[in-house]
Amino acid sequence: MSQSLRPYLQAVRSSLTAALCLSNFASQTAERHNVPEVEARTSPEVLLTPLTIARNENERVLIEPSINSIRISIKIKQADEIEHILVHKFTRFLTQRAESFFILRRKPIKVVGYDISFLITNFHTEEMLKHKLVDFIIQFMEEVDKEISEMKLFLNARARFVAESFLTPFD
Amino acid sequence: MLLLDYQNVLIQAVLTERFSGAPPVSIDQTVSDFDGVIFHISTPESKSKIMVSLQIRCYKDLVRYGAEQVLNREYGPYVVAPEIGYDFSVVVDLDNLPAEKEARDELVNKISLLKRNAMAAPFEQAYQEHYRLREEAAKFTSEEAPQGVREGGTVKAIQYREEEAIYVKASHDRVTVIFSTIFREETDRVYGKVFIQEFVDARRRAIQNAPQVLFRNDPPLELQGVPGVNNTGTGEVGYVTFVLFPRHLTPQRMPDVISHIQTFRDYFHYHIKASKAYIHSRMRRRTADFLQVLRRARPDSEEKERKTASGRTFKQGV
Amino acid sequence: MANQTPAVVMDNGTGFSKLGFAGNDSPSFVFPTAIATKGPAGGGGGSGSGRPAVGSKPSFLTGGAGPSGHLSMKRGTEDLDFFIGDEAINAASGPGYGLHYPIRHGQIENWDHMERFWSNSIFKYLRVEPEDHCFLLTEPPLNPPENRENTAEIFFESFNCSGLYIAVQAVLALAASWTSSKVQDRSLTGTVIDSGDGVTHVIPVAEGYVIGSSIKSIPIAGRDITYFVQSLLRDRGEPDSSLKTAQEIKEEYCYVCPDIVKEFARFDRDRSRFLKHVVSQPGGRQVTVDVGYERFLAPEIFFNPEIYSSDFLTPLPVVVDGVIQSSPIDVRRGLYKNIVLSGGSTLYKDFGRRLQRDIKKLVDDRIHASEVRSGGARSGGLEVQVISHKRQRHGPWFGGSLLGQTPEFRSYCHTKAEYQEYGPGIVRRFALLGGPGGS
Repeated sequence: MSQSLRPYLQAVRSSLTAALCLSNFASQTAERHNVPEVEARTSPEVLLTPLTIARNENERVLIEPSINSIRISIKIKQADEIEHILVHKFTRFLTQRAESFFILRRKPIKVVGYDISFLITNFHTEEMLKHKLVDFIIQFMEEVDKEISEMKLFLNARARFVAESFLTPFD
Repeated sequence: MLLLDYQNVLIQAVLTERFSGAPPVSIDQTVSDFDGVIFHISTPESKSKIMVSLQIRCYKDLVRYGAEQVLNREYGPYVVAPEIGYDFSVVVDLDNLPAEKEARDELVNKISLLKRNAMAAPFEQAYQEHYRLREEAAKFTSEEAPQGVREGGTVKAIQYREEEAIYVKASHDRVTVIFSTIFREETDRVYGKVFIQEFVDARRRAIQNAPQVLFRNDPPLELQGVPGVNNTGTGEVGYVTFVLFPRHLTPQRMPDVISHIQTFRDYFHYHIKASKAYIHSRMRRRTADFLQVLRRARPDSEEKERKTASGRTFKQGV
Repeated sequence: MANQTPAVVMDNGTGFSKLGFAGNDSPSFVFPTAIATKGPAGGGGGSGSGRPAVGSKPSFLTGGAGPSGHLSMKRGTEDLDFFIGDEAINAASGPGYGLHYPIRHGQIENWDHMERFWSNSIFKYLRVEPEDHCFLLTEPPLNPPENRENTAEIFFESFNCSGLYIAVQAVLALAASWTSSKVQDRSLTGTVIDSGDGVTHVIPVAEGYVIGSSIKSIPIAGRDITYFVQSLLRDRGEPDSSLKTAQEIKEEYCYVCPDIVKEFARFDRDRSRFLKHVVSQPGGRQVTVDVGYERFLAPEIFFNPEIYSSDFLTPLPVVVDGVIQSSPIDVRRGLYKNIVLSGGSTLYKDFGRRLQRDIKKLVDDRIHASEVRSGGARSGGLEVQVISHKRQRHGPWFGGSLLGQTPEFRSYCHTKAEYQEYGPGIVRRFALLGGPGGS
C-alpha cells in the first residue's frame, strides 16, 4: 500500500464509522412512510453536512449523512481512456447485480464525477454488523483500484501477445 | 484458439463427409463467412453434383484485379456459370472424384478456401507488379529512376466491407497493404487502440523480420487521390498499414503471406472480443468476492429472528 | 449491413448445441455443449472464490520481453486455450484438459465457460462477424429473466451483435410444426412434448406464451431408453452390450407398437422380426448381436414406465392429459388439437399415433363418464391430434430458422442501440415472433 493510500482509507474509515449512526425515522412529510431521508430530501433539518475526502483530484469519496441513511459515493481513479472505459464497465457490471449487493445504489448520484454510490439505511445497520459494512466499503475501494489496474495490464499484455502472434508467421 | 482458420470449416466438413463415400443426399445450405461473404452449398441437378457458390460484396473490385484468372487457375475444371444471385460457382461431381485420398482432400481444402482465393487476386497482382518494378528499378540508381518506377504501381482498392476497405500498392522495394478500420463502439475503439499500438511496436521489440506496421488517423500518403478515400478529419477511420518487405515477397512465401494478411481484420476483432470476454470473467469473479465480503457483515445467528416483516419492507424501499 | 446477412440461430441445449443460419433446413453444426479447458475438470470456474489463476499478478508481464520468449509466454493466455464441441471431448480424453458442461438442466450455469463457448462457436465454426448479424437464441421454459439479461450482456457487450432475439424452445418447436401438412392455421397454441437425452418436458403454450404453472417433467428420456436396451441385452447375455451398441440398436430398430401383448405374439409367430445387428469392436473383430423384443419394448417405457422404473409410474399420455387439464379451460381445446413432438426421443415410428390414440381414449372416457353423469346430455366431442413432422429432431432450431428468415424478424430483435439506451432489462420482453400480427 502506498504512503498516501493508508491515511486516505483511514480517514474514510473513521468518517464512515462516525456517520453510520442511524436510527429509525419515519417520514415527516408523508404519513406512514419511512424513506431514506438522504434520498428524499424533504426535511432539511434531518440532513447532515456532506463531507468529501479526497486523496487527489482523481480519487475522492463523498459521504452524505442523514438521520436514517447515508450515501457514500466513490470516484475511482481513472488515469487514461482505457481506465475510464474499464471503470465504466466494471461499475455497470456491479450495478447490474445491485439486487444481491443490498447497499449498492443502482446508479451513482447525480453529482458529476462519481462512479458508484452506496446507500446504507438504518435497516441495513440493524440487520448487518456496522463495522463489517465499513470493512466492505474500504475493501471495495482498495480492490477496485487493484482490479482496474490489473485489467489494464492484462489488456496490454494480451494486445502484445496477439500482435506478436499475428506477425510471427510473416517471419 | 489463437489464429483464425483460413478455410471455411463448414464447407470443409460437408465436402469431407460427402467425399467419404456416404450415400448421396440433397443439400441446400446457405452459409455465411466473415465480411458478409455468403456461400450456398446445394445439389441443384442431382444428388451427386454439389454446387458451391460464393457471394462477396466486393466481387467487382476483385474482378478488376484479376480474380477471374486466379479462380480459374485454382478451380479450372470445376468452374461453372455463376448461380443467380451469386458471383462465382463451382460444381463437383461425386461420381467423378480424384481416385486418391490425398487428391480428394486437397480438393476439399481448395474449395473451402474459396473466399481466400477470391480475395487473393489483388495481392497476387501486386506481387507481380512488384517483381516487374524491381527489375526495372535495378536498371537505375535511386536518383535517376523514372517517375513511374520510383512511385510504384497504382493503388488497388477493395471495398470488402461497407465501411472498410483494403488498399494494396506495389512499388519496387515493397508492397504496402493498408486496412481502413472503423469502430462502431467506444469500448472497441479504445481496446483497438491498445491493440494497434502493440502491432506497431511489435517489430521494434520482438520480431525484427515482421512487416512494418504503421497506424494513423488520416489517410496515409499512399492513398492520396484514391477515390473513395475521404479525409473526413474526424479521426473516426483509422488506417493500419502493413509494409511487406522483399523477404515477404518471395514467390515461395506468397500464398501464406496472402492468406495470413487477409485475416487481419477478423483476427483483430476476434481478439478484442475475446479480451472483453476475459475481462467479463474477471469481473464475475471479483463481484463474487465482493459479495462474500458483504455477506460477512450479516451475522449468522441473528438471521432467523431478523426475517420479519420489517426485513421485507426495507427491501422494497431500496 | 445486417440487412443482407442471414440471422444466426443458436440452440444451446444441455447435451447438444445446434448452430446454423436462418433459412436453412438443418443446423450447420450439431455438437456437444462441452468445453475443454486447461486444468482438471470440475474445479475452477464458477465457484466464485478467487480470481482466475492467470493474470492476477502483474508479474506475468515481465516474461515475454525479447524475441526468445514471446510465443512460449503462455501465461496470461490460458483463456484462449480451450476447445468446444467434439474437439473438446477429444481434447479431454488426453492429458491437460478438463471437460465442462456449461449448461445444466437447460439453464446456463457457468457463464465464463458459456461466453467462451459462444465466442468459439461464432468465430471458429460459424465464421461470422457478430456485428453484422442478428442472433436468435433459445432458452428453456421458466428461464429466470436474470439469465436473459446476462445473455444479453454477453452478446451486446462482448460481441456487439447487431440484434438479439431470445425465444422459448417450446414456442419454436410449435413454429417448426408448421411444416407439417396437418397444421393449417399456424397458431402458436399447443402442447409441446420435448424429449431429449436427459429429461422429457410437457409444455403447454397458449398464443405464444408458456403456461408455466402447468409444465410437467418426466424423468424418462433418451438416455433411459438406452439403459433399458442395454439391460435387456445383458439379460440375454449378448456378446456386446456396451452403451454404444445399445444406442445404435435403439436408433436403428426401435418402434412403437399398438399393443405389447399382441406384439409379443406376433414376434413369436414370425421369426423374421428378430434381427441381427453387427457390431465392429475395436481391434477389427465383428460380433453379431440379436435384436429381439427390445425393438418395441424400449420406447414402451414412455407408455408403461413400470417395466423400467419403480419410482415413476405415470404413463406419458396420462401426463399430457393432466397437463392440459391443469391449463386454463379456454385454451384446452387448442392444446388437445395441437400436440407437437420435438427432440430425438420422439422419433420412433408410430410414436405420435400411439400417443394420439391413448390420449384420445382418456379424453373420450372422461367425456363419456360426464355424459352418463349428466343424464343424457351429448358432448360435441373433442379433437385430439398429435403432430409429428420431418423436423422433429431439431425442432426448436428449425422453428428458429423458420422465424429468423422472415422479413419482419429484424424488427423484432432488440438492437445494440436499444440495449444501450435501456440497459439489459430490455430483453425481459420480446414482441412475439410469428404471433398475431406477425406472418
